[in-house]
Amino acid sequence: MEVFSGLMHGFAVALQPANLLWCFVGVFLGTVIGVMPGLGPPATIAMLLPLTMMMNPAGAIIMLAGIYYGAKYGGSTTSILINVPGESASVVTCLDGYQMARKGRAGAALGIAAIASFIAGTVGVVGIMLIAPPLARMALAFSSPEYFALMALGLAMVVLLAGRSMVKALLAMLVGLWLAGIGTDLFSQTSRFTFGQLELLSGIDFVVVAIGVFAIGEVLGNMQMREAAEALPVPKGLRNLLPTLQDLKDCRFAFANGSIVGFLIGVLPGAGSTIASFISYGLEKAVSRRPQEFGTGVIEGVAAPEGANNSETGGALVPMLTLGIPGSSTTAVLLAALVLWGFKPGPLFISENANLFWGLVASMYIGNLMLLILNIPLVPLFAQVLRAPVYVLYPIIIGISIVGVYSTSGSLFDVWLLAGFGLLGYFMRKLDYPTAPLILGLVLGGPLERALRQSLMMSDGHLSILVSRPVSAVMLSLALLILLMPMFGKLNTWRLRALEK
Amino acid sequence: MKADFWSGLALGALGAYIIAQAWGWEYLGADGPGPGFFPLWYGIAIVALSLGLVASSLRRGETQAIDWTGASRAFTTWLALALAVAAFKLVSFHVAFAALTFFIVAVMYRRPLLVAATVAVATTAAFYVVFPLALGVNLP
Amino acid sequence: MHKRLWLAAVLAVPLAVQAQGYAPTRPVEAVVHTGPGGGSDLLARAVALMIEKENLLPVRLQVVNKTGGGGALAAAYLAEKKGDPNTIGFFTGVWLTNPLTSNEAKISLRDLTPVARLVLEPAVIAVKADAPYKTLGDFVSAAKQKPGELKQSGGSITSRDNVVRQQLQKAGGARWQFISFPGGGERIAALLGGHVNMMVIEPAEAGEHIRAGNMRVLAQVSEKRLPAFPNVPTLKEAGFNITPVPQVRGVVAPPGIPKENVVYWEGVFKKLTQTESWKKFLAENQFEDGYQNAADLTRFYDEFTNQMRSILQEAGVKTVR
Repeated sequence: MEVFSGLMHGFAVALQPANLLWCFVGVFLGTVIGVMPGLGPPATIAMLLPLTMMMNPAGAIIMLAGIYYGAKYGGSTTSILINVPGESASVVTCLDGYQMARKGRAGAALGIAAIASFIAGTVGVVGIMLIAPPLARMALAFSSPEYFALMALGLAMVVLLAGRSMVKALLAMLVGLWLAGIGTDLFSQTSRFTFGQLELLSGIDFVVVAIGVFAIGEVLGNMQMREAAEALPVPKGLRNLLPTLQDLKDCRFAFANGSIVGFLIGVLPGAGSTIASFISYGLEKAVSRRPQEFGTGVIEGVAAPEGANNSETGGALVPMLTLGIPGSSTTAVLLAALVLWGFKPGPLFISENANLFWGLVASMYIGNLMLLILNIPLVPLFAQVLRAPVYVLYPIIIGISIVGVYSTSGSLFDVWLLAGFGLLGYFMRKLDYPTAPLILGLVLGGPLERALRQSLMMSDGHLSILVSRPVSAVMLSLALLILLMPMFGKLNTWRLRALEK
Repeated sequence: MKADFWSGLALGALGAYIIAQAWGWEYLGADGPGPGFFPLWYGIAIVALSLGLVASSLRRGETQAIDWTGASRAFTTWLALALAVAAFKLVSFHVAFAALTFFIVAVMYRRPLLVAATVAVATTAAFYVVFPLALGVNLP
Repeated sequence: MHKRLWLAAVLAVPLAVQAQGYAPTRPVEAVVHTGPGGGSDLLARAVALMIEKENLLPVRLQVVNKTGGGGALAAAYLAEKKGDPNTIGFFTGVWLTNPLTSNEAKISLRDLTPVARLVLEPAVIAVKADAPYKTLGDFVSAAKQKPGELKQSGGSITSRDNVVRQQLQKAGGARWQFISFPGGGERIAALLGGHVNMMVIEPAEAGEHIRAGNMRVLAQVSEKRLPAFPNVPTLKEAGFNITPVPQVRGVVAPPGIPKENVVYWEGVFKKLTQTESWKKFLAENQFEDGYQNAADLTRFYDEFTNQMRSILQEAGVKTVR
């Protein structure tokens, strides 16, 4: 079989000592970058490009790809330990991961994140190997109405993230939509809600809001208590240092869910790993037997999004390798790298550069394995970070947040925004507004509005385009169903009460 | 609850502002919805929901005691943070951050001054080593 | 007598140094408005590498990313560095159009010191390979018959994609829709998926899709035929008497720097454009050489701005300056 022989050739390339070394360097560097909030793969890959000119292309692409998916492994670490999303995709991991840490199960959370990432990452590579070209063609059929429906489905997840007050969750989501709209409108070039500030012309960076609301908000919230003895319980005993067999059993569906959802969403150019992790999380909660516990530290709530954001990297490489279309900022840089080395990414890339392609695929299997081996033993080590007394940990968290935000844009204005959103996060905690819907609205708001306006432009103003196309119709009905679910629940309660009378 | 009442009002004000701004932009252009389309709708949604929030809070009529001590501690810390950010341009990140750390340890957590000073210096040094030196990331 | 010679020599040294003129003594900041990996960033890094290879500067060129505001932040940053000859910036078309449409983008090229124009970016007009249009004329007549029905994918309405559309619509008496997508990948996907009919695309991006047989090029947006497309007519050759509005990249410096510094930088970049590595770079990226010195660039800027202003106003975009 062609695939099998290709893969064998690939392993022959990937297992060469030099390439193994580059793979290790890449995944290690990626993990470190993932842990650091604000520092991301696109910047690092771009900085390393000149060095790669001196390397052989196979080794170079193996290393850069390693940085790409390695970063997703590292991103969960700070999310779980200190509620600071290391990568924008790790935001969802904060929801249950940090809560698990507060209950003393930081080790289990970190461990399951690594395992889910490994499984999903491997599934992603298998996906590239087996179904890349036909999947890419199918992805081309995905157009603005389908994107709109996908985003709407994502927003419908707010219902599942609501907690006690649906009204407050909706309000948080709407404010998120508003924040997403700040900046220059793509279609008309009008400035919206920029308050005359130059820095707001390109909108508010998601990282600033997420770190501000989550990390700084949490720190401020905890400041209320003077003598909080220890920040977070240090995990004791093997049960809490690593996931147990029971944990692994509980996460069976989450592993599958994360892998598949992440990969499929990754294939769509423009949809990102953040959306993938949100949808995977929502799906997990929807099928769970204990949905009300999500948000308090449920292990599947960590496994699903972490898996999703890893298989998404595999998915994002599909359009890049099969069509030469970059799906995200990182794949755009990787594409530029390929061009720099003299390759021509496009529909003919795989057939003309079979050795390079299969070498890359094989290296990704190896890389995922390396990451698993790297990360698992480090878990108990990382968990010890929580030993530090509160008054040392919190200034460090504040410092990391500031540096992380500053490193993405180099602008002090963003640091001010960080402080502002920290205050917002504090108020939201105090006044019982859930923070996840805010992030959801912020991430999905832009793509949602764009997809809607593009769709209406395509259909000359007829809304029917959204339901006349089968895929978008299905997704929109799903979204509607999810939105109406709480009402079914309420109807049920009324019915039962009426019956009792 | 009192908190709901005030936050509902604040959000209602935000919603009203959004609607007012959206009114000035094009709602439906020649090619499709304009920049005012989306904001108008979610502005209306915000106003509607916040009015609902205010109404329900009045209906319940509860007032919950606000933890003023806790809130003031949090707010003071935030002020310290804001001052530190303002100071970055003047005295450099290291000095401002060290001062902030010192403040948090000494004032917020009432640890002895020596401990506070040590923590402040140690963390600032760590940041200096890790970020600009090892990773080449610029500090504010 | 020896003493006199010695004195003269000592006095002559500083004069000699002065006569050599300005040269940077510490790494020079090259400001770009995109993040790492973006168009401007890659150009700046490539230029830095070439300058080092050809020994055109005694120091390193350090790329500094000042993203935000679609270029306005980078321009503002340069304006703040008034009088500092140790900073330069790489500008693109958006630096020129932002001040026209955005109130907040106050810094235009006039407020900075133009140094040199480096490249012109050509473009081609592409359709899906199975589209019924064989020539640009086919497309425009089809659009004329069904006004507002055909669709083009592109960037924002101030981008060159739309400018070409405006010019073609005017010249051909037709009208078709323009749908903005934020990324090149999405625009191409829209075309290949059959959701739009046509797009204006850079030859480097289109190359592989054409080779694979997915896209067909109807015309090229340039004055002369590009070496990579010897059989594709230019706009004029296709029957549309349009002067293409160029998409440019070049170098600027902060305001208020002394004349000799401008001359120095002009010299560096002029030498750069004459090197073999530069020619290779142009060929690889399918750029056109568009070198202009500071004076010509200033003139070009004025012409370009006036032209853009009228085109944008015709397109119904609100201009604020």
